[in-house]
Amino acid sequence: MYAELNSILNASPDNCKQGEFTLISDRKADASFLVHHFLSFYLRAGCKVCFLGLAQSFSHYSAVAQRLGVSLTQAKEKGQLVFYEGLKDCLGVLLREGSTHESPTLDFLRPHCSDLKGLYDFVSSSVARVGDAAGTGPWAPPVLLVDDLSVLLSLGVSAGAVLDFTHYCKATICTELQGNMVTLIRCEEEEEEQGDEQGSDVLLKGLIHQCSLALQVQGLLTGYCKHIHGEVEVWWRGVANGMQMQKKVLQYKVHDKGAVFFARGTSSVVL
Amino acid sequence: PSIVASHERVAFSVPSYFTTNSVHYSGRCLLKSYIRAALKRDEVVHVLGFEVSEEETRGDLDGSCAERLLFHDGYKDPLGWRKSASFTAHQFNSQDLTRILRQTQQPKAPVLVIDSLSWLLRHHDPVAICRSLQELRRGGAVRTIVGLLHSDLHNTSTVDCVSHLATAVVTLAPTSQGPLAVAKTTKRTKSGKVTQDEELFSIQGDLTVTIHRTVSQAGKKQTEQESSEADPTANLTFNLRLSDTEREAKEKVSLPFVFSQEKKSALLHKGQRSGRILYVPDANDDFDQEDPDDDLDV
Repeated sequence: MYAELNSILNASPDNCKQGEFTLISDRKADASFLVHHFLSFYLRAGCKVCFLGLAQSFSHYSAVAQRLGVSLTQAKEKGQLVFYEGLKDCLGVLLREGSTHESPTLDFLRPHCSDLKGLYDFVSSSVARVGDAAGTGPWAPPVLLVDDLSVLLSLGVSAGAVLDFTHYCKATICTELQGNMVTLIRCEEEEEEQGDEQGSDVLLKGLIHQCSLALQVQGLLTGYCKHIHGEVEVWWRGVANGMQMQKKVLQYKVHDKGAVFFARGTSSVVL
Repeated sequence: PSIVASHERVAFSVPSYFTTNSVHYSGRCLLKSYIRAALKRDEVVHVLGFEVSEEETRGDLDGSCAERLLFHDGYKDPLGWRKSASFTAHQFNSQDLTRILRQTQQPKAPVLVIDSLSWLLRHHDPVAICRSLQELRRGGAVRTIVGLLHSDLHNTSTVDCVSHLATAVVTLAPTSQGPLAVAKTTKRTKSGKVTQDEELFSIQGDLTVTIHRTVSQAGKKQTEQESSEADPTANLTFNLRLSDTEREAKEKVSLPFVFSQEKKSALLHKGQRSGRILYVPDANDDFDQEDPDDDLDV
């Protein structure tokens, strides 16, 4: 959890907003530090967290969270965290195709199914089990984190199906249960071949239309820099009170145990 | 002047009306202010909500307006995954829609607001949607159809296809000056005349729309606009035009190779004044007529 980012987003673990859909996207940079931030943030805030880990294994997230001062193993034991090991399970389904004992969660990998209903059912059932672990008290509100949605595209799911999935998650978690949702999507570099790029482009635009806060991480246009790792564009898209969107661009540097954010051109090494 | 007034005019005279927008500017605000304006003048408004929940749609409206709004919920369960659907994507055809719109016994033909067409286009063939919209319009069950379209989510052919169906298309784009945005309106009358308008507007907290400036006047022909846009002599570093004195000076100059009176007399009276070569041969000059090159040692 990065205190600096919290003050930028005007949020704290004691007072987290509800019904927010945050989209993190990256281009020519790695935005996974923001996923780690939100994971530790919501665990500290006492939310029930459902994490779809499609890009990395549990031990990876656990190791990073340890550095940020949160124990994922404990959270899992307490029932606060539901971690879905998508990385391992996908492989399992692909290797043991045709076996009788199958969970419907990864139905989209099977030939007869093209939507993500199975994955949605998993999410809704895991966030609905609020406070069923005896004696631990209810965890509220629920939070869904996905790292990352582009993996689904690579696994052959269409952009439309992914958008349906996020739509359902938003309707259930953000609107009905007043929880929050954070998803990561990786964009391809611009000079990619047409056919493939279109999918991720449509997905990104569709998600930007759905989300209420977009964090767009981008590498520096001038290339690699040791002291400035990239730029984050914070984009509030809520249209409440007739206010249109607001934007703010910051540069960042990721440290071992945190990240610093500063206005463009005000890095300590530049000044 | 307030756009709400002009909105009314548009809504009364046209059967369908679409708003397009892109990632950078959301048309939902304008859609909401349209809903509010329609409710304020006692119209029956049906909203097919796919992208925004019922609470959010009603949220910005004041009490009596919010009550009269008829919301068909396609947001919670549009594909029937949760088996609690009230309106699904499959129901988007003219028969089902007409049935739903006629459920409420109202003397007036209602206004149908679709939020958004982009969502529908993801699940249906564009042709099928266009047909349903056309049938609805012909069927007389609705007075006006208003749809929101995120134009950047579709390819241009789909956007064009839907836009051709509409009698008015409002395309929104952000400006660099904060809350202001540009609305480009293309209206098509029954006679086939197309008018274009460009306005700078902003939307207040209570969903009223204020027009700040009309960028181009109504009724301006598109050809005119295009020719003025494509003027290559607009920003040149040199001068292409002549002033009167410059033109006079230019006309005074006589061109070479023009046989004027002066030249003629100069040619006729040559002699004294023209240059001559005087050659006095030297004593050493051994000029041999037969071999003029013999001093060259060839």
